[in-house]
Amino acid sequence: MQLKKAKRRTNWLARDWRLYVMLILPVAFYLLFCYKPMIGIIVAFEKYNLFKGMWGSPWVGLDNFQFVMKMSDFSSALWNTLWLNLLGLAAGFPVPIVLAIMLNEMKSIGVKKVSQTLLYLPHFLSWIIIGGMVLQLFSPTSGLINATLLKWGWIDKSIPFLTDGPHWQFTYTLVGVWQGMGWGTILYLSAITGINMELFEAAKIDGANKMQQIWHVTLPGIRSTIVVLLILSVGQMMNISFDRPQILGNAQVRKYCDVLSTFVYRTGIENHKFERATAVGLFQSLVGLVLISGANFVSKKLGEDGIW
Amino acid sequence: MKKALAILLTLALLLGLTGSALADDWITLRVETYDREITGLDVTNCWQLHYAQENFGDPNHIKLEFVSYARWTEGDLLTNALAGGTAPDICVTYNGGLVQQCIDDEGIWQLDDLIAEYGPNLVAFLGEELLGYGQTDHDGDGVKEQWYIPARRISVANVGNFIREDWLKALNMEKPTNIEEFTNYLRAAKEAQLAGENTMPFSFGIYAPDPLYNVRRFTDAWVDFTQVTEEDWFAYARNPEMLPGSKEGFRWLNTLYHEGLLPDTFALSDNDKANDTALIMGYNGFFSQQPDQPWRTDKNYQIELEKNVPEGHWVTVNPFKNESLGGKTLHDKYAANGLSIIIPLTTNEETAIAAIKYLDWMAIPENMFAMQNGIEGINYEGIDETLGIPYGVKSADAVPNENKMHAGDICFISNGLYYGSDEKNSAALALPFAGYEEDVVASYVDALTDAWTQISFTVAIQAETDYGSTVKSKQGEFLAAVVSCDAEKFDEVYDAGIQDILNSGAAEMIEEFRQAYKDGNYRGMFPGNM
Repeated sequence: MQLKKAKRRTNWLARDWRLYVMLILPVAFYLLFCYKPMIGIIVAFEKYNLFKGMWGSPWVGLDNFQFVMKMSDFSSALWNTLWLNLLGLAAGFPVPIVLAIMLNEMKSIGVKKVSQTLLYLPHFLSWIIIGGMVLQLFSPTSGLINATLLKWGWIDKSIPFLTDGPHWQFTYTLVGVWQGMGWGTILYLSAITGINMELFEAAKIDGANKMQQIWHVTLPGIRSTIVVLLILSVGQMMNISFDRPQILGNAQVRKYCDVLSTFVYRTGIENHKFERATAVGLFQSLVGLVLISGANFVSKKLGEDGIW
Repeated sequence: MKKALAILLTLALLLGLTGSALADDWITLRVETYDREITGLDVTNCWQLHYAQENFGDPNHIKLEFVSYARWTEGDLLTNALAGGTAPDICVTYNGGLVQQCIDDEGIWQLDDLIAEYGPNLVAFLGEELLGYGQTDHDGDGVKEQWYIPARRISVANVGNFIREDWLKALNMEKPTNIEEFTNYLRAAKEAQLAGENTMPFSFGIYAPDPLYNVRRFTDAWVDFTQVTEEDWFAYARNPEMLPGSKEGFRWLNTLYHEGLLPDTFALSDNDKANDTALIMGYNGFFSQQPDQPWRTDKNYQIELEKNVPEGHWVTVNPFKNESLGGKTLHDKYAANGLSIIIPLTTNEETAIAAIKYLDWMAIPENMFAMQNGIEGINYEGIDETLGIPYGVKSADAVPNENKMHAGDICFISNGLYYGSDEKNSAALALPFAGYEEDVVASYVDALTDAWTQISFTVAIQAETDYGSTVKSKQGEFLAAVVSCDAEKFDEVYDAGIQDILNSGAAEMIEEFRQAYKDGNYRGMFPGNM
């Protein structure tokens, strides 16, 4: 009996050892680049000394958290982060779904491929370049849009796309949607390809028109993908990239564009107070964990799969 | 014969042995060098490195190695290198906050003994007073220790205001001598559309790292010095917007904005490029930067302007008179110290000694002359008999790559060309700008008229470390708001902005600056005493 068991154990190893060898690299990658650096979060509880490093610096408990959260900018940065992400989610989440369905319904393969490529393209542009384009398009008076509208006499004062808070939020969200929508369709398109064609045929035989097919077959078919992506997005609500608000923002709309990443850069990195930067980072991650767990819980309650 | 051969062989062997022993006692000295990406200049393999290696390194058995750091990100790069223990043996930085951090964290050499023993020429060149900038009482025993070596700044002028002489002629106007005339000039230029519909008389933008640094040169003209004590002046060192009277200066900018005399894009990030283009295309009638700005090799506004507007001519202008100071035109000027030189503790004592020896070698006049000017006939035509300074200095692109150099970045103990006396140094300021010598000299004269030395403190100001960057960021928001708000809402916006800045940490800073002033821990000048 013992012998049989042992044999079975060696069997799977003997049989699949190549697969396990292949696994070594990704596991090592995660250990080295995702888990090992996590030790660094202890810096958030220290008065970090540049030269003594994280093991030699004195422990200060929650002082860094208290200091950062008392700063006048913290709450507005927190609020702006959540608000801009929420706007982005509300405006940007449905767009790739709609686009994916539209692309899927295209008859001509050529047109489909070309439009897909064109839609992806912005994803590969750096925010520096997009920032330049935004300036060219949306600047007051001299920007292409304002200059044209002024010339045509449609407006008599330029629209403050970049210089007035709410307008800026609109521009920020719009540009974000434009940049990300093409890329976002990839997962949905592959999910749509996974739907059994017989369902469409059955729907057609039952007399469903295109819209009804989309509503009753395509959307339910990609529902689980939508839910997973939505949960993941909710988990990212506290995280915001540095370059996008930094580049699109400016002093005139600072009240609206100052987010946690720019706040961290200013109070942590620029001042060489890495412990404060780490403290904010840890705070963001904790809130992110709570949000993603909450979203997952709700989705399971609603009968969906969730992500774990 | 055999015997002689044996002796010869033994000798050869001995020599060989000593030779290899010598090779072993060579040490490597790694020196931080800024890289400004000047075409053709490889700072890790440049003429100055070879010259220093030959004349200093080889005789002392020191192998010099230049480590290149990008000029505009040097602070971040150096911070990482210091934290990672890979910093060069000689580090240079303009980032005062980083140096203070190094002192607080005790990560750099205390230099008193090293300088006393190995740096006599260095001390002679810098002088005791200047060395004082690098001294702080870190251990609290009442005696200041030398933590960094401040470079000597040769030219302390900081403010350059420039106006278009060809526009004055076109408008049939004299050079403005006060703010009213200056404003009229801007209005007339706009009215006459001197550069077509692109005319934008006042070139203006926000310098994000320190938004009011380049604005106080205007608004200080409105400060009411009858209401400012010396103590206030130092307490508001980083908050010129709060000095009594300066509010009206910001109102003036607001007026210019609403009259369309300054660009409505001034607050947008990344508008530097657009501003540069406007200057070069000839759209602007006024700009304010450094005193040598129109002629600098990296951004030559004058020569580039002439390509687009052949008669275009930038000349210095000095209209910002402060009436409460009897019409003085205040200009801030740098303190006498330039960048800071530190030696990290990761460098061993032997190498730290070599580092000081290298700086000391650099301070010897002949060596400095060579390191700053290069070779006669290649980098310059010859030496002026009476002044003893080079003439016919070649521009960077007229020098072969292997002879390209950067005086200030590599011979960094001197920020600016040094020829032994103030007189020679100022005569040499215009040297690199052949053809525009008179304009350059006039600009420096204006910049140093009624000039006050910028404020610094000799103790660490904790509130500035904690809140300095936040306050500056708020000042950017404040500037954008008060310049662009509706004129009738100006007072409201101004007051709210000041309150916002105070709440974001400026109040703590002002209090700590005030205390430092009372304790005598400050440097700089109060214009009220001029």
